[in-house]
Amino acid sequence: MSFFSSMDISSSGLTAQRLRMDIISQNIANADTTRTEEGTPYRRKAVQFEEKQKSFSDVLNNKMKSMIGNSGDDTAGEDVGAGVRVSKIVEDQSAFKKIYDPGNPDADAEGYVNMPNVNVIEEMVNMISASRTYEANVTAMNTSKSMALKALEIGR
Amino acid sequence: MLMNNMFSNTKLLEKALDASLMRNEVIANNISNVDTPGYKKKAVRFEELLHSAMGNGQDLNIDGIEPEVYTDNANLSYRTDGNNVDIDVQMADMAKNTIKYNVLIARMNGKFNSIKTVLKSSY
Repeated sequence: MSFFSSMDISSSGLTAQRLRMDIISQNIANADTTRTEEGTPYRRKAVQFEEKQKSFSDVLNNKMKSMIGNSGDDTAGEDVGAGVRVSKIVEDQSAFKKIYDPGNPDADAEGYVNMPNVNVIEEMVNMISASRTYEANVTAMNTSKSMALKALEIGR
Repeated sequence: MLMNNMFSNTKLLEKALDASLMRNEVIANNISNVDTPGYKKKAVRFEELLHSAMGNGQDLNIDGIEPEVYTDNANLSYRTDGNNVDIDVQMADMAKNTIKYNVLIARMNGKFNSIKTVLKSSY
């Protein structure tokens, strides 16, 4: 447990939420895109979060510290974890919306067009959620910072 | 012996500060994982350990007490994504923890100030 690890954890949360925000923007921007490189309409993308584990060197360091009796951190109990990360960006495989628009160059023989499976309202809700979580991480980061600064006052 | 007695209380405060810092890290981890499917919140156990160590009537061995992290499985089916982090509770815990940390720092300073007073009083 280094002194700044809680700030690293909060910044990993900020990074993850910002990436989520990027993906949401991409979805909204492509809400009407009927043509992609694959030839299909745009598919909605979503991020998948996963808890980040401590790196191998951190774990080894801890074990070595506790072995030489220097009571590294977390000698008892579990590990704290190292924040969050985006494990992958997945494509939503749900069906495309079909609308009737014979004038569209991507319309089929009957005049129907496949539209992206993006629900703009859902994306807006996710956007608010991402923004709130981002704020929560900022607050956590500020709290850690004020604690670190407070520790400098010991012995003043 | 005198020095041991003089600083024995700061040792306890040090441990409590360690626990508080670790709790801050755990809460930050919980907050950053508030949207992670299947994540279970973590917490720090320290006060209970200290209390039971103080209750047995023997001399308190502070070095034997280590704050430890555990997974809190309360409200397992709280959300459909298997995550049981309640962001409001976490934010409140973080605020409480910060106040506690500041109190401990103030107590630590108080201790040092009384030692300083003793050192100055000779002239």
